[in-house]
Amino acid sequence: MTVRRIEGELPVAFRYTPGVGNTAFFEALRDRGTFLGSRCADCGVTYLPARIFCERCLAGLVPDTECGPEGTVESWTVARQDVDGRPLDPPVTFALVRLDGADTVLLHRLLGTADIGGRVRAVLRPERTASILDLQGFEPV
Amino acid sequence: MSPRIGVTGVGWSGFTPTTAGRSYKELMFEAASAAYLDAGLDPRTDVDSFVCASEDLEEGTSIFDEYVPDQLGAVQRPVQTVASDGLFAVATALMLIRSGAANVVAVEAHSKASDILTPGRVDAFALDPVLNRPLGVPALALAGLEMRRYLHASGRTVEQCADVATRNRDQARSNRRASFADVDGDDAPLFDPLTTHQAARSADGCVVIVLASEDRTDGRPTVWMDGIGWSQDAPSVESRDWSRAVAAERAAATAFAQADVGPADIDTAEVDDTFAYKQLQHLDALGLAELDPASVNRSGGAIGEGYLHEANGLARTLAAVEQLRAGDGRAAVVQSWRGVPSTSAAVAVLRMDR
Ligand SMILES: [Zn+2]
Repeated sequence: MTVRRIEGELPVAFRYTPGVGNTAFFEALRDRGTFLGSRCADCGVTYLPARIFCERCLAGLVPDTECGPEGTVESWTVARQDVDGRPLDPPVTFALVRLDGADTVLLHRLLGTADIGGRVRAVLRPERTASILDLQGFEPV
Repeated sequence: MSPRIGVTGVGWSGFTPTTAGRSYKELMFEAASAAYLDAGLDPRTDVDSFVCASEDLEEGTSIFDEYVPDQLGAVQRPVQTVASDGLFAVATALMLIRSGAANVVAVEAHSKASDILTPGRVDAFALDPVLNRPLGVPALALAGLEMRRYLHASGRTVEQCADVATRNRDQARSNRRASFADVDGDDAPLFDPLTTHQAARSADGCVVIVLASEDRTDGRPTVWMDGIGWSQDAPSVESRDWSRAVAAERAAATAFAQADVGPADIDTAEVDDTFAYKQLQHLDALGLAELDPASVNRSGGAIGEGYLHEANGLARTLAAVEQLRAGDGRAAVVQSWRGVPSTSAAVAVLRMDR
């Protein structure tokens, strides 16, 4: 056998529709610098980002509940490599943060050091484009 | 109780870090041939239906289910693919048999992970494209996040997780399929607190399992598949339970109820150990936290045998079938998880009467 490997790749592209709930969240973040969620009163759960349905009871929801901008660290880890396995220098710390008023978490960068239970505050970019990257990350309070 | 369903044949190939020169079709052919020989049947006439498990992106081919019939003996036969772990394909096979649509079903799953040149990209593409993917976060980071939260909530320690990894490698020494028994324990952090030592490494391989209705087992000593369940937690990173393996809890409740057994009846368990902490979390979910560690992943698990992607659940099932056939217990539980970033799990209960 002389040919042992045939290489191939998949150059495809997609567009993703954030939807009504995420768009309300992103526009509040961009325009007012606030975190908009939605509350299911029946389940007693506030989802952040906002959703137009409750995953527990499937009721319709509206974006109606502001959360944060402070919150609590639920977990954290350190990434020393990127998605391609290449070394990250310096490493990046990622955290799960539950903003005050929310029952769900946001995954984002932790700008500093905080352990589980530690209090943090959202850091926004001055120029915002309605994206999850309008948030720079969370810094310890 | 409805008629039982037996595991009448098992076969495998690979279980090595690479399978250079052999294609996935050839790995499947080898495993299928062994399973049909074990079951003593001709797949072209005796198998009523075929169920595979695969993910297109891991195969590098769209509509991959079109590529499975020829090497299984399934050309011009009923064949389907489940986009999930192989244990979910077993569940589909059980439904085919219980419904009367088939009497004998072959189930297949494989990994040709050594052919995936950018595995981190495949995994990252599974993250939510709106909320998570823009962060450039590797999917494996979710394991570090979950492990820290699990340790915090359960009171278990990093040392206990390291012990799981060490024990699984030790137990793998007596398993001829285990390529990773002697892989050195590397305490370098992967995604803190997860270390390389505590993570299964990718391997190539294929497993085929033949299932048959009770009247097709011809009265031979048979391992019975008496219960199976599957479930999924909230998939989103934002709303999933970060402390417990909720899907495994739900799947176990279903499988135990079907088989009319409880955790106290289980003699041997083959559970997902993609990461050492997941083994502990999954045992918690199955109500098996008190099971003798020597009876958990006697095969060495994925840490010992390698991470076989969609074939992980069938690898655990294969190990359990071999143990029951060898007389190492009468009741086994098998559990699988689809890996990061998923929240899906399946559980099966197997028994051998004596
Ligand atoms: Zn609700």
